[in-house]
Amino acid sequence: MLIPRRVKHRKQHHPGRSGMSKGGTALAFGDYGIQALEPAYVTNRQIESARIAMTRYIKRGGKVWINIYPDRPLTKKPAETRMGSGKGSPEWWIANIKPGRVMFELSGVPEEVAREAMRLAMHKLPMKTRFVTREGGDI
Amino acid sequence: MSTDNRLDVELRTEFGKGAARRVRRAGKVPAVVYGHGTDPVHITMPGHDTMMALKHANALLTLNIEGTEQLALAKDVQRDPIKPIIEHVDLVVVRKGEKVTVDVAVHVTGEAAPETVVTVDHSSIQVEVEATNIPENIEVSVEGLEAGTQILAGALALPAGATLVTDAEALVVNVSAMISQEALDAELADAESEAGIEHDEPEAEAAEEAPAEA
Repeated sequence: MLIPRRVKHRKQHHPGRSGMSKGGTALAFGDYGIQALEPAYVTNRQIESARIAMTRYIKRGGKVWINIYPDRPLTKKPAETRMGSGKGSPEWWIANIKPGRVMFELSGVPEEVAREAMRLAMHKLPMKTRFVTREGGDI
Repeated sequence: MSTDNRLDVELRTEFGKGAARRVRRAGKVPAVVYGHGTDPVHITMPGHDTMMALKHANALLTLNIEGTEQLALAKDVQRDPIKPIIEHVDLVVVRKGEKVTVDVAVHVTGEAAPETVVTVDHSSIQVEVEATNIPENIEVSVEGLEAGTQILAGALALPAGATLVTDAEALVVNVSAMISQEALDAELADAESEAGIEHDEPEAEAAEEAPAEA
């Protein structure tokens, strides 16, 4: 699973969820992609589950790219704990995704296979997404 | 792409985000035309016609700027990341017969040998070509290519009159061997156990076990 090797601060504030994606909104590597339509925190487990679902479906053909990285820690206080006594311990690693971001890319398979593989992967993600392809005007 | 796309555009006299938003609300697209040492000209383009013209990469546009015709190429197109809206277009002035440097998409055709994966490392290459004769894409055939074959930018068949700007040694298409089934299964099993993913029992096995339990 994707986990940063070292971070400057172990416990961070929650990243902001407003606004649209500033970059990474078009396909960069593959011919097909999954684009986020809503903001969400995507955990490293969700990223890995989506990748496994896609890879299982396309079997040995094709190549998958992951364009996001879970570099933000989220903390959690233990259950039945009184408030105070400092911030909880790091529990999840998340990627802060904003609408428009192309999170996964795929190439080397026919479009129908890519659509189905990405449909399976979309079910592992916590937000509304859509399937995107490279169009004539895009380079 | 040499198709002539004629667009009637208007000169823009209001600037800033308020004016640009008014233009967009009216179904039009704010744009700017520059190049050849001329002063930038701010224009308003028809929304739907512009969108249709820009569906083709490197479309050559013929702008009718209040009676004056001007050839232009789209240098940069700002699109909304979610909605199919063009927010702004940068157009660069070109002249007939002038050579321009543009990115042209690489289009892979054919089927490589069995047990191979075809990966496009450079989905577009830069070429210098006549503005009126820009190819829409450059086709690369991978028909029957074996694993380990690499197609470099220098080996691409460019249209007549075009010269390559991208490094000739740049890797464009890579044909590699498929991962073995055992290696893929092992990799996925490792990944699933790390992520804590468990598979349900297959139905046949569950059905066999059910009567014994009863």
